[in-house]
Amino acid sequence: MSVRSDLAQKLGAIAGAHRVLARPGELRAYESDGLPGYQKRPAIAVFPGSREETIAIVRLLAETKTPFVARGAGTGLSGGALADDVVLLGLHRLTKIISIDGENARAVVEPGVVNASLTRAATPFGLHYAPDPSSQTACTIGGNVAENAGGPHCLKYGVTLNHILALTVILPSGEIVTLGNANGECEGYDLLGAFIGSEGCFGVVLDATVRLVRNPQAVRTLLADFMAVDGAAHAVSAIIASGIVPAALEMMDAPTIQAVEASIYAAGYPVDAAAILLIELDGATAGLDDDVARVEGFCRQAGARAVRIASDPADRARLWQGRKKAFGAMGRVSSHLVVQDAVVPRTRLPAMLAEITRIGIAQRVKVCNVFHAGDGNLHPNIGYNGNDPAESARVHEAMTLIMHACIAAGGTITGEHGVGLDKLPYMDALFTPGTLSAMCALRQVFDPDRRSNPGKVVPVHSCREWHAAPAARGRTA
Amino acid sequence: MARGAGGTRENGVSSSSAMPTSVEAVIEQVREAHDRGTPLRVVGSGTWLDAGRPCTATAALHLGTVRGIIAYEPGDLTLTALGGTTLAEIESATAAEGQWLTLDPFGAPNGTLGATVASSSWGPLASAFGTPRDHVLGCEFVTGAGDLVRAGGRVVKNVAGFDLVRLVTGAWGTLGALTEITVRLRARPELDRTLIVTIDDSSPSDVAHTGWRWLRASDFTPLAAELLSPALSAALGLERRSCLAVRLGGNEAYVHAATEALAQVGELREAPVELWPTLAQSEPVAAMTLRLSALPSRAGVLWDHAVTLAERHGGAAHATLVRGVVRCILPANDDLTLFNELSRSIATPPEGITMVGERLPAALWPVLDRDRSIATLSDRVRDAFDPAHIMNPATVGAAT
Repeated sequence: MSVRSDLAQKLGAIAGAHRVLARPGELRAYESDGLPGYQKRPAIAVFPGSREETIAIVRLLAETKTPFVARGAGTGLSGGALADDVVLLGLHRLTKIISIDGENARAVVEPGVVNASLTRAATPFGLHYAPDPSSQTACTIGGNVAENAGGPHCLKYGVTLNHILALTVILPSGEIVTLGNANGECEGYDLLGAFIGSEGCFGVVLDATVRLVRNPQAVRTLLADFMAVDGAAHAVSAIIASGIVPAALEMMDAPTIQAVEASIYAAGYPVDAAAILLIELDGATAGLDDDVARVEGFCRQAGARAVRIASDPADRARLWQGRKKAFGAMGRVSSHLVVQDAVVPRTRLPAMLAEITRIGIAQRVKVCNVFHAGDGNLHPNIGYNGNDPAESARVHEAMTLIMHACIAAGGTITGEHGVGLDKLPYMDALFTPGTLSAMCALRQVFDPDRRSNPGKVVPVHSCREWHAAPAARGRTA
Repeated sequence: MARGAGGTRENGVSSSSAMPTSVEAVIEQVREAHDRGTPLRVVGSGTWLDAGRPCTATAALHLGTVRGIIAYEPGDLTLTALGGTTLAEIESATAAEGQWLTLDPFGAPNGTLGATVASSSWGPLASAFGTPRDHVLGCEFVTGAGDLVRAGGRVVKNVAGFDLVRLVTGAWGTLGALTEITVRLRARPELDRTLIVTIDDSSPSDVAHTGWRWLRASDFTPLAAELLSPALSAALGLERRSCLAVRLGGNEAYVHAATEALAQVGELREAPVELWPTLAQSEPVAAMTLRLSALPSRAGVLWDHAVTLAERHGGAAHATLVRGVVRCILPANDDLTLFNELSRSIATPPEGITMVGERLPAALWPVLDRDRSIATLSDRVRDAFDPAHIMNPATVGAAT
């Protein structure tokens, strides 16, 4: 019996043979995540149905020193939840909402609970789970923790980091630890903060205690349309500088608007606009309309052709659907789509959007921008034909130039999608060798054998010097 | 929350002759200490040296001279400053632009940004804005091996690489000396009004519970809401009874409506905004401070327990109700019986209540019942970033 089939059998003994996949054909679906440009084939995939099974599996993998990758819904956009020849640990069956404490506005959930399901379960308490990635109808809380997921409403409410009170985690060694304190303050190192966003490299979440947020008394959703992208970008800067904190402040440019309006997700956006802003303000009713009036004023001063306020909840939902399904709408236009994620200081948005346009023209590619403008979190996307090597090369070149332009503007290479495989080539440009080495050191603490999601986040060459004695390590940053 | 208002005594630590004024000089000093195995006490303005933490360093690494704001772009609402920059300097630079850093830790405003982040100190504004971990966007620090690390960035959203920023925030300098920090700022509200709410309830626990229930259910989010014990109210010039001090910020219509809503809870009295800096500096020099926390819904039980403890020792207490945290301020006391009693109270907190020390006599630190479940992991973090254990060694609150 081969090593692989022996392991598959042992995994089957834990989770049930029908929950283990080991044939190449069966594994195809697990070769990619939401960014189909990357394909890696796991050796085995296993899908535990309980916490106990998950623990037993991680411990078996520790005993056999087997590398593994934990995966939620596979909606990630960085090529993060995949690797060759690993055991893929699918956690999407762990969907129990263990408890909801309406009084203290918190819930304890298993990692496979879908983001939007949690909000649905919290609705009777007048609460919701605030981080809302566009994939929220499919993505899981475990995956959100691994990526420190964001979403449009993170502008006001914060990212996943700000909404996790405690985690029970199984380390790659099989040891179970609690990070954070759900019932009070926590002393010592913020290992909870270090774990969130560690992209599956530090261990596997068994349960998460999350903070729920009270539903706002009132919500106003505005659609502002502009005849120039630059005007929309300047409106964003003016709103942010004013101190008003919208719940969300999203921007879409003409190619994106046209893709959405031509799809089943058509939201009634003006198809002749150069850009639109989707702005949401929420909170207490008192004073809200004064803020709405100021925001409308900023848009008009920046050249908005029209500003309209959603008339009712259905209208509001429609405006949001267009935004949240924009990536899907682009799928109609081209066979392949590369979704980017980068952040620039908010005052640099107008200049950066102009730079992205220049790069697109020079590389003869069509860039669509749909992004969290209020955070300066850009998502330049390029649709292309992946079977055309010349076009693929131009797309790659355009993306590389855009990422380096964002770094040069004082920005970063990912605001919410994670590094995964996709951003690895830029880590050296963003961080010093000393910083990358420190990241390797932290990973080493949680996963000394580097078996948990191998080859992600920090380029392997950065970790080499880590094996040397600390005193002999490179001294220059 | 832990920067003390006390003096600058250095607990027997001999001060190093050199006062570095650049990051290069800090690196140089740490490398030398690393090579010689010289334990260092990391010092900002020296305002929390009296925390009493039994640091065993023999030399000081002064960061108070590595100071100054190095980037401030009001339109981005971000600011980058060297670690030794004081909160007062930041306050004055940002106020000129109608902005502020929403961290108001207890203690004097000459505390440094580096110390605030290293000790994860926070104050009443944490009700609305959170603690340092929610404010720091990036930082630069010198590890115990003398390596310079630049973590995070200067933008408000960033998931590039492992989160070294959160790791060093609240690590008390034991993983590295913070030389530069980028923080998120906010615009100052159009109106900033402070109200004292007197809740007419029969017992202190009812007052706490009523206050918490209002905060939880209200559509308004105060900038701060602190429940003050009778002794603290009196010390601040208010009536000697439990009072809720609420700070409202927003536009006129919002503040007006929030004031009306608060009037349903109790009797209102306007107070000057200076109440907050006065509260921040209200504790006597060398007072002991410790924090008790629990699930916010247990506000009544927690408040009862904390106020009883504080009053038994002639002290005062205040609660950040939405966070479920009460801070007890106990004057220094030579009475051995009382001291032993306090020691027992700290050693055996009631079920469901967590105690965290801020500033305590050296003898009380070992008494605190700390969760050791992640001790091994913490020790390994320490070994990775400070292999020779020279940075603030034996500082309680982190692995030693």
